[in-house]
Amino acid sequence: MFKLNLKIALRNLWKNKTSSFINVIGLAIGLAACLMLLLYVTYEWNFDKQGKNTENLYTIMTNIPGDNGKISNTFEGSTTALGPLLKEEIPEIKHLARMNYLKKALIAVEENSFKKLGKFAEPEILKLFDYQYIVGNAATAMQNPKSVILTESTAKVLFGSTQVLNRVVKYQDTEDLTVSAVIKDLPDNTSATLKFDFLMPWAFYEMVDASAKELNWGNFSFVTMVLLDPNADATKVNQKIDKVVKAHLEQANQPYFLYQLSKLHLYGKFENGVNVGGDIEQIYLFVALAFGILMIACINFMNMATAKSEKRAKEVGIKKTIGANRISLIMQFLTESMVLTFIAVIVAIALLEIFLPTFNDLLNIKLSIGYFSASSWMWILGIVFLTGIIAGSYPAFYLSAFNPIQTLKRRIKSNGILAINLRQVLVVGQFCFAIVLIISTMVIYRQIQFIKNRPMGVDVNALVEVPQDGELKTKFEVVKSQLLKSGSVTAVSQSSVGLSHRGQNFMDVKWEGMAKPVNTQLFNQVATTYDFIKTNGIKLKEGRDFSKNFASDSAGILISAAALKVFGYTNPIGKTVTIFDDKYTIVGVFDDYVWDSPYKSNNPVIVFFDPNRTGTITMRLNEANSIAQNIATITEITKQLNPAYPTEIKFLNSIYLEKYNSEKTLGILSNLFGGLAIFVSCLGLYGLVAYSAEQRTKEFGVRKVLGASLFNLMQLLSLSFVKMITVSIIISVPLSYYLMNEWLTKFEFHTEITWWIIPIAGLGTLMMALITVSFQAYKSAKANPVDALKYE
Amino acid sequence: MIKIENLEKVYKTEEIETTALNGINLHVKEGEFVSIMGPSGCGKSTLLNVMGLLDKPESGSYKFIETELLTLNDRERSNFRKRNMGFVFQNFNLIDELTVFENIELPLIYNKVPAGERKKLVNEIIGRMNIVNRSGHFPQQLSGGQQQRVAVARALVTKPKLVLADEPTGNLDSTHGNEVMELLCELNETGTTIVMVTHSSHDASFSNRIINLKDGHVISEKINKGRTEELI
Repeated sequence: MFKLNLKIALRNLWKNKTSSFINVIGLAIGLAACLMLLLYVTYEWNFDKQGKNTENLYTIMTNIPGDNGKISNTFEGSTTALGPLLKEEIPEIKHLARMNYLKKALIAVEENSFKKLGKFAEPEILKLFDYQYIVGNAATAMQNPKSVILTESTAKVLFGSTQVLNRVVKYQDTEDLTVSAVIKDLPDNTSATLKFDFLMPWAFYEMVDASAKELNWGNFSFVTMVLLDPNADATKVNQKIDKVVKAHLEQANQPYFLYQLSKLHLYGKFENGVNVGGDIEQIYLFVALAFGILMIACINFMNMATAKSEKRAKEVGIKKTIGANRISLIMQFLTESMVLTFIAVIVAIALLEIFLPTFNDLLNIKLSIGYFSASSWMWILGIVFLTGIIAGSYPAFYLSAFNPIQTLKRRIKSNGILAINLRQVLVVGQFCFAIVLIISTMVIYRQIQFIKNRPMGVDVNALVEVPQDGELKTKFEVVKSQLLKSGSVTAVSQSSVGLSHRGQNFMDVKWEGMAKPVNTQLFNQVATTYDFIKTNGIKLKEGRDFSKNFASDSAGILISAAALKVFGYTNPIGKTVTIFDDKYTIVGVFDDYVWDSPYKSNNPVIVFFDPNRTGTITMRLNEANSIAQNIATITEITKQLNPAYPTEIKFLNSIYLEKYNSEKTLGILSNLFGGLAIFVSCLGLYGLVAYSAEQRTKEFGVRKVLGASLFNLMQLLSLSFVKMITVSIIISVPLSYYLMNEWLTKFEFHTEITWWIIPIAGLGTLMMALITVSFQAYKSAKANPVDALKYE
Repeated sequence: MIKIENLEKVYKTEEIETTALNGINLHVKEGEFVSIMGPSGCGKSTLLNVMGLLDKPESGSYKFIETELLTLNDRERSNFRKRNMGFVFQNFNLIDELTVFENIELPLIYNKVPAGERKKLVNEIIGRMNIVNRSGHFPQQLSGGQQQRVAVARALVTKPKLVLADEPTGNLDSTHGNEVMELLCELNETGTTIVMVTHSSHDASFSNRIINLKDGHVISEKINKGRTEELI
């Protein structure tokens, strides 16, 4: 029976080439889009989930208290003092490792030197994560403080081989470290705090950075990760942590808590200390998009199948008469849709292979189909099966229910009330989805433009920065004067962080007339020397920049307009503020500028004068010269003064562009898949019109003989489809308006949905549908009526 | 073999009710060849559909070798039909996507006949119908007469006790029409009971008995002497 069903299915596909083509191409595009998005979703979903300890691996989060007993901020970070205390007091913690955030550092083998992501961690990190050792092992890898674990690709870049046990590398051009192990590269979907190129013991960190050695409760620049006992209850452990910390430290008002590491990537957004989702919302959106497009393709299949029901009805009637039962007929139609889906999935995989590299480039990730993984085949087959069932079930139940007498007497009306209604509903549904996507794409695009056009408060054009490494720290003044003399730059300044950076937050601030006993506003800090305002193109509102003419500037600060608002000073210049128990005098007030996310207001900034807190050198290029010329000069000067380090010049405008990445991804995906949704919907519409035209060949012939014009006939064929699109527009416009308004309210700074988006989306879709319909309508209306009548 | 008593069938639409069969009584003996005639709309096709278990009457009784068929449910009707009945239609009703061989094989598949035996039975009937060289062709590649031979072959391949034919020559020219009628006669001579609906008195002359219907009633019955004698 199956063989026979398969035979009928294949012969049917071959006989109805147009509809088979539309179905296969539509389904293939739907499946390719679906598989592509699912690959992306799987990639995101599996972030930090590769290890065998994933379930019990936690990171410590810190809540920053705000006003009225609320929590103003929650972040992954903790102090150096917390780890040892927890390890001692909480028996449920099996292993605990303190580590730093990742930092690029110089690592070299003789002349072969690179800036790579380095990490310091306590040896127990090797028990938290099951790194795969190429050489060396977990037991010995972190025994010696001056040792280093390299990833496979770092070892290859440095030595050209992975067999490099006990070889020596130079760290930051100062310390020799012995290679104690080489491990396989970490998966791409490892979160940024964990993805290193080389790993060094905490003991060595204590040698090179005093802040690591000191058991401190005020510096949150560290990460603490723990492996809980599998039987431990995280909620109870968190209650214990609270108690232990409070017992140990009276003034402790930062409640720490454990949070499952594998959840942080997608569920990383906290409000008032409680998780409120995060990027998971985007994942849900993509899953909906994936299945939405697949659904559109399935709807095409259903519509074509039911439209062709008149042709198939006879077959159903005959089979029923000679003894087929309903189940066998349902199986036959399902076999047909499975065969079609199977062909479509082969085309889809080919499409995926062609377009995956472009998709990867767009999103800057590395996705690939795991041809040798059983689970990916399970997924693909699962989707084929599901698609076959969804696409085939309605036609199967619809067609197999035909009454044999009626079908054999050709009494089946293909446009029976139910059939045509459902088909209309499905077409309307398809186009609703497509229109919502078009409107969303336009709103997302406008939002990105809105944020891009928002004044940033800094002039990032012609602004470059280099990390202040090695000799650049000690010889900054020499570098500065040489650069200025060379004419390649017009201004140079050093600062503790780059212009765009993660907040270096603190709260210990007191000011005159402060109403609250303790400040609850987070401030961001930047340390610099001279020319900070001038170099960065920040607008000074009052006062002046730091100046060599005022020796007292070492106790001076510059504050942002937002900081001034917090202090509430009317004449701020000369007023004082107490920070960490030291008094500082305000010498200047500058306009707020974007240094963090451009989508929300950034914390107020206080700029200190401190030549010792180095980090980044920022330079304003001389626009009289070509960029290439300027860069060459800067490279030459820095290389000469700091030969051990490669010169890494970054353009601030590209750094600022990266701030739009996550919304850009959303924009690209909704653009791409919105376009596909429209295309597949139009493909289905084309099929329906073609079929409807074929059925009405005789009617058209008669009408033409009686004098109908080409336009009359096109109108006749197009009208019902245009009506359906109009209904779709009426439904989808308010829906997308509501959805996009919701999306926009997520942003503190956002655009409004302008009225003209709606007619553009509506008319655009209508036009596209009309072109699709008219093409087929023209073809059949143009046909010779005699042929049509003779044929009948 | 067939005992039909007081059969009534009414077609209802929103506006009107049409009585298609109005208290029909009909007996058919095993091995008989019965023609049902009458003007359009007299109920002859409805009667045939009821006899073929394709349609359900409102009331009455339909016994087939002492089994009451009107009380069967859909699945039982479908099973009974595929084991005991064969159909021949005016418009052949072959499946376009299947070859001659596959079309004839189809009822055997539904009757779960093993593949080897299916092949034997199909080849046997193809030989009998004289369409051996056409077995790999699709229906559209055959003439009307050949298509009807395939349809007859399909109706006979399961060796049914009853063959129901609805205007089997309606779409054929007289030469091919006669060929099909001769085929039915041969079949009848080997013992198969045949009930045929027809407009043509020529075709009806091939049968043993002619029943005339009008407005859902049997208005007359005529024994075809020539054929009956042959039967005796």
